[in-house]
Amino acid sequence: MNDLIIRDDLSVVGSGRKDYVTIKVEDQTLGIPVLAVHDVLNPQRITHIPLAPSWVAGVLNLRGRIVTAIDLRSRLGLPPLGDDKKSMSVVVEHREDPYSLQIDSVGEVLSLDDQLFEKNPVTLDPRWRDVSRGIYRLEGELLPILDVDRLLAFESNGKAA
Amino acid sequence: MDDLLNEFLTETGESIDVVDVELVKLEQDPNNKEVLDNIFRLVHTIKGTCGFLGLPRLESVAHASENVLGKFRDGDLEVSEHAVTVILESLDRIKEILAGLEATEEEPDGDDTQLIDHLGSIAAGRGMPAVKEVPETVEGAIVDVTLGRTLKEGEVSLEELEAVFNAAPGPGADSGPAEAEQPEPSAGGDTGGLLFDRIGGEDTLAVVAHLLAQRLGTNADLGKFFVGSSQDQRKGRVMGLMLSLFKDDLDTADNVGRQLVTVTGFGEEQFDLLLAEAKEVLVECQVDSDVADEAVMTFELVRESVITASKELAQATPNKAGKAKADTGDAAGGAQAANEPKRSNQSIRVSVDLLEELMNMVSELVLTRNQLLQITRNIDNAELAVPLQRLSQCTTELQENVMKTRMQPIGNAWAKLPRIVRDLTVELDKKIELVMIGADTELDRQVLELIKDPLTHMVRNSADHAIETPAERLANGKTEQGTVTLNAYHEGGHIIIQIKDDGRGIPVAKISDKILEKGLATEAELAEMSDGQIQKFIFHPGFSTAEKVTSVSGRGVGMDVVRSNIEKIGGTIDMVSIEGTGTTFAIKIPLTLAIVAGLIVKAGDNRYAIPQISVLELVRASENSEHKIENIKDTPVLRLRNRLLPLVYLNEVLGVMTREEIETRDAERERSDDFIVVTQVGPFTFGVVVDQIFDTEEIVVKPVAPILKELEIYSGNTILGDGSVIMTLDPNGIATKANAHVGDHEQTDKNSEDKAQQASSNEDESMLLFTAGGQNPRAVMLSLVARLEEIDIENVERADGKHMVQYRGALMPLVPASPDLKLKEDGRQPVLVFTDGDFTMGLAVDEIMDIIEQPLDIKLVSDQPGTVGSAIIDGKATEVVDVAHYLNLAFPDWLKSTDAADSGAPRDGASILLVDDSDFFRNMLRPVLTVAGYKVTAVNGGAEGLEKMAGGDMFDLIVSDIEMPEMNGLEFAAAVKASDKWANVPLVALSALANERDINRGLEAGFGDYIAKFDKEMLLRSLSQQLKIRGDAA
Repeated sequence: MNDLIIRDDLSVVGSGRKDYVTIKVEDQTLGIPVLAVHDVLNPQRITHIPLAPSWVAGVLNLRGRIVTAIDLRSRLGLPPLGDDKKSMSVVVEHREDPYSLQIDSVGEVLSLDDQLFEKNPVTLDPRWRDVSRGIYRLEGELLPILDVDRLLAFESNGKAA
Repeated sequence: MDDLLNEFLTETGESIDVVDVELVKLEQDPNNKEVLDNIFRLVHTIKGTCGFLGLPRLESVAHASENVLGKFRDGDLEVSEHAVTVILESLDRIKEILAGLEATEEEPDGDDTQLIDHLGSIAAGRGMPAVKEVPETVEGAIVDVTLGRTLKEGEVSLEELEAVFNAAPGPGADSGPAEAEQPEPSAGGDTGGLLFDRIGGEDTLAVVAHLLAQRLGTNADLGKFFVGSSQDQRKGRVMGLMLSLFKDDLDTADNVGRQLVTVTGFGEEQFDLLLAEAKEVLVECQVDSDVADEAVMTFELVRESVITASKELAQATPNKAGKAKADTGDAAGGAQAANEPKRSNQSIRVSVDLLEELMNMVSELVLTRNQLLQITRNIDNAELAVPLQRLSQCTTELQENVMKTRMQPIGNAWAKLPRIVRDLTVELDKKIELVMIGADTELDRQVLELIKDPLTHMVRNSADHAIETPAERLANGKTEQGTVTLNAYHEGGHIIIQIKDDGRGIPVAKISDKILEKGLATEAELAEMSDGQIQKFIFHPGFSTAEKVTSVSGRGVGMDVVRSNIEKIGGTIDMVSIEGTGTTFAIKIPLTLAIVAGLIVKAGDNRYAIPQISVLELVRASENSEHKIENIKDTPVLRLRNRLLPLVYLNEVLGVMTREEIETRDAERERSDDFIVVTQVGPFTFGVVVDQIFDTEEIVVKPVAPILKELEIYSGNTILGDGSVIMTLDPNGIATKANAHVGDHEQTDKNSEDKAQQASSNEDESMLLFTAGGQNPRAVMLSLVARLEEIDIENVERADGKHMVQYRGALMPLVPASPDLKLKEDGRQPVLVFTDGDFTMGLAVDEIMDIIEQPLDIKLVSDQPGTVGSAIIDGKATEVVDVAHYLNLAFPDWLKSTDAADSGAPRDGASILLVDDSDFFRNMLRPVLTVAGYKVTAVNGGAEGLEKMAGGDMFDLIVSDIEMPEMNGLEFAAAVKASDKWANVPLVALSALANERDINRGLEAGFGDYIAKFDKEMLLRSLSQQLKIRGDAA
């Protein structure tokens, strides 16, 4: 159970730690709550789906389950990965359907203090603000946390993206 | 949830459903004792179990309806519609309470007093008011083996049941508080001649039964056959048997007889012994010897059933006695078990989830097996091959069997229908019979679930909207009772379900009004639609035509929901409706959704699966073969057995390549073979051009992720044997997508089957545009063109001053489409081929440009030979070609041949007035009629025609169009018939609208015949016929 701490600016944060898997897309490191991650896969054979939205990389076979691959770069408005590089997959679940987030590489698992957590800066790119829960202030870099559910909630904003 | 409660809920739910159906049966056949007994038993079981589980509310409702049912059974009360309605109501209440129970595990609050009072008053309606039923004495309690009668409310307890069980000499496992089944003994007084009375009535019989039972138990030869039953049970059975026999109730006797012996091996010999014993006892009881003989004779009636029952019950019976004892606490359950000794032993309940799980696992197993097979195909290992083959075989069998567990008779989906129809008949005051054929046709549970609602909805619709009230039906010369027929059967890998009614059909006029009102189509569009097309608008979203909304249908969710539900599971729905006669819906659905055969094809770099069901055939097309892809402008087509098959490129539809890219690629490739998958979607057949075709594979289609649901071109995705994921294509989606590409929208999609009809109306025409001798476009009606050819100019020969070409084993004359046109020097000459009967000619043109669909409106009538006139087509002035002219050029005897085809030669010089507002048709018909020997005067409307009459002209015949501005054909005909000059001139109607309704209207207006506009031969035949009639009359 986390205690609540009131900061100087009167915002309330919990005191405790949470675990995150870090991933790399382009040069940005992002965090995904460790409990949301089901699998991390090496480059897979992905079947491309013509006519699908650009941020759908295709479908892949994960031990007999069909997983829809989401191109995180495209989803976040980043340029595509170079042809010579293959993307890795982080499998998450959304409404009981498995999705794989195609990323450049996987980092490590970090246990982070809640006190390092900040809300999104208001000036953040709306595309990022949509899918970021908030940001951790790490030494040397900032770590936005991906909100997997919002990232995959295409029903509402899929067309806009 | 408590296991016991859970079990109770499932079982009661099922029982209620059965009672629903049975009650409706009972209402139709009130004297059917079997049905009544069945209902009674079920309701009783429900009540008994409620008491057991401590559900007072449920119990009191069940009790009250049981009371009424009891009265029915005793004959104290007649089965009436009202009573059945109230009982059905109480069943609904029970369902409500059950639903509450399921949700909260507690009985929901509610007041049932009104319902119970209602039931009470019905029970009291005739004869005695519902009294507390106390277990009665021996007499009569036995006759019905399934009987059980009640205590007063809430008093059923274990002890009591047990006590009653012991007291009641009911047969076997049957128990429960007993009640007099037979009418009071005094009621039997007026049947004095009965054997029953001559023996000495019930008192004597009781003694006889007692003695006989005792002796049977101790008899050296017979004793072993009765060891399974206690003396009381034996006594009960013997008593029951005698009562029914002596009272001539043979059905019951038969039933009881079957229960008499509980051990196998009871044969003829034993039965004779039994008779001897019975005789002896009867005599002992001072029954007159003759009467005793007669009584024993009646036993012969059940000889057969006793003996066969003994054989049949060989297995089931031995445990019965023990079971009966063990089951005393759950009397009702025991009663049921005794009645269905076989069923209970051979099936068990398995949760649906488990089956689903099993199915999933098997699907995975099949996939893995396929994978293994694929791998080992490349490895030569005999050691592995054998067990692998065995594994493969087992997997297949397992798959088949698991599929079977999911199969359920479609009757399950129908179970609620009799009740629905019955309720409707009462509510709407109609008479409707529901006929169900093929209820045992099996299909996958999942599919069954999905079609349940659509089916219910459709039957409801039929009963509510389609079937007329009895008065209406009688007025229309039908029987008072309407029939709704459900028919299910297998056909190929599909199930066909027909829902047929003999009601009023779908009113075209009303639908048309509604279409206009909702703005789904314009009046002009409607005018050119066939009745069938208009009727099919009921499948449009938001269509409900019921004049008033009843509680059963007309809630605005209509046939569109039905259609989309059926299409969702890969089914199709079709409808034929004839106004006044009835409507038939035909639903075609796949047997199962889980595993389907898929054709694996390749387009671009990816493979796709097309459901085998929608694949008609595969065609390989190449430059040099008989089949090659041709283009009309940019529309690729394939000639397939004398039909033009529209094609779509899968690459293009999927947006992988543009048409140019495909063409460039094909040009670059040396071997430019194309693979065409001929696909059918509803009535629309088209070819899908793919890069490569692999084999057919069993695939397990899984739904696509929600984000891909919007892509209607995919129906799902699947994992192939090699482990790769591929998308399964939805032919429906391809068709839609392809049409969007081509740009003629739904025209080809939904209305393609009516294309021919469209072409025949004078609104939208498919016109083929070409050039010949100059840049001006020319047009010809596509429906007249038989084929498009490109003929190698080297093959063109000259004979008899004409160009000829050998075509399909015959000589075909080649006529230039314009005097300015010069045949090409070399290469290939585009040719339009026209065929009329035996005549085939080629019209040489410079270039085939396009096919356009638009209304044909001839602006300028031409006097140039070979041209009908000029019209604006696609924004340009275009000459419309008169095909007849060229046929005549090619075959001077062509028009003569049309004469010869006439059944009767026209009189010389008979004069005809041709009334038609369309220049085109006047111009088309005039030469036809002229050549046939008529003198033709053509006018462009009814008014002008009447002027001719005023001017004193006389005609032998009038041919008139129906749809004309200002004065239509019907008005014109009426005016002609009303006149004194022309009243006797025969009238022939000519119209694009030629359905039954129009024809009748035409005949009423005074037309002697009614002919579709394009039926030239029919017209000529009719004309000579009409003239003949007139001649005969004169």
